[in-house]
Amino acid sequence: MSADPGQERLAQLLARTALGDRNAFTQLYEATRAKLFAVSLRIVRERFLAEEVLQDSFVRIWNHASEYARAKSAPATWMTAIVRNRSLDVVRRAREEPDIDDVLTSGLVDEGAAPDREAAARAEEHSIRECLAELEPEQRQSIALAFFHGLSHSELAHHIGRPLGTVKTHIRRGLMRLRDCLARHAITGTG
Amino acid sequence: MRRPGDQLAHALAAEYVLGTLRGAARRRFETMMAADASLREVVARWEAWVTPLADRVEPVEPPARVWKAIEARIGAGPAKPSFWSNLDFWRAWGLITSGVAAALLAFFAWLYTGPRGEPVFIAVLTSSTHQPMGVVSMHSPNLLRVRVVHNWSSMRDKSLQLWVMPESGAPRSLGLVRNEVGDTLISIEPTDPRVRGARMLAISAEPPGGSPTDQPTGPMLCSGMVAPVKLAS
Repeated sequence: MSADPGQERLAQLLARTALGDRNAFTQLYEATRAKLFAVSLRIVRERFLAEEVLQDSFVRIWNHASEYARAKSAPATWMTAIVRNRSLDVVRRAREEPDIDDVLTSGLVDEGAAPDREAAARAEEHSIRECLAELEPEQRQSIALAFFHGLSHSELAHHIGRPLGTVKTHIRRGLMRLRDCLARHAITGTG
Repeated sequence: MRRPGDQLAHALAAEYVLGTLRGAARRRFETMMAADASLREVVARWEAWVTPLADRVEPVEPPARVWKAIEARIGAGPAKPSFWSNLDFWRAWGLITSGVAAALLAFFAWLYTGPRGEPVFIAVLTSSTHQPMGVVSMHSPNLLRVRVVHNWSSMRDKSLQLWVMPESGAPRSLGLVRNEVGDTLISIEPTDPRVRGARMLAISAEPPGGSPTDQPTGPMLCSGMVAPVKLAS
């Protein structure tokens, strides 16, 4: 893992939070709340739901911060995964008609969004973006829509206008190609 | 579902992390994860691979009420150190007969009259429900005294590890503490970088022998802010 000072600070704050340091927990919240709120908002779409997810996630982080010490990912990744999992738990199961306008206007140009200087320095993000770029366009689009916007298989099928089986295959094959690519990056130590 | 082979485990783990594994299937998979460490490993790998994609998301400020709600749910923080060095508190508590109060009072009496060098700082460690569990005092020239006043019977298979936190930065270990009512003495210089600038102390429950890393990996049992000792009061 690259020595990223921002992540180093977050790791220290998590370790202190694990020991009950309220001040460190407050700083952790201040440093990460906006990013994490945005991640949840894209999946659950309603601000009120995203607020609940953020609250639940940070209460979980407060109670389980000691688990980070054994995690092998960067602190931001560990926290983001908590927020994404919570968001996917609360997202409404029956979203019959995905709000197409909403999905389109929230901008599925995340891959090309404003460069995040801190993140771009991190090997992990570099690898996944490189590997994503190697996929076929339809595989990449389905995976990106699923990841950023929490679309289910059937919502993807509806949005892209393809049969359900085709979409499932895109996702499955795309993920397996990602795995091969990421494993290659790990072996050669590039990225 | 029987235990999945490697290929299937990766396929499921990837879709779980991506978010396309939903509803009942998602919950079933979580149940499997809870029982299968190697499956959790595979999921952890996919999380480390895929989650960094989210770093590019444009931040959105949440409203202040979210933080207020979080604070309300996790409860009040530890008492300020001045709370403990206020003698009135101890006088009032002397009226309450309880093993813990008696042990703490005896400790403080020793502290103020004992022969072992001037106390440099003191910290009362309380649990998340604000029960005093231990007291740590630093004495010149080189003695750290950790008195446990209330042990943790449910933690017999764990090692108790003492941590110190400076103003900012990572916690540092001060060593293991015996999980029984009584004292653990640690020989340490007041100029030791771990002790200098100490602001907060805490005890965590670790695997036998202590944390396998240089940071706490187990739950916090008690913690407290450090207070310089005011003898003239």
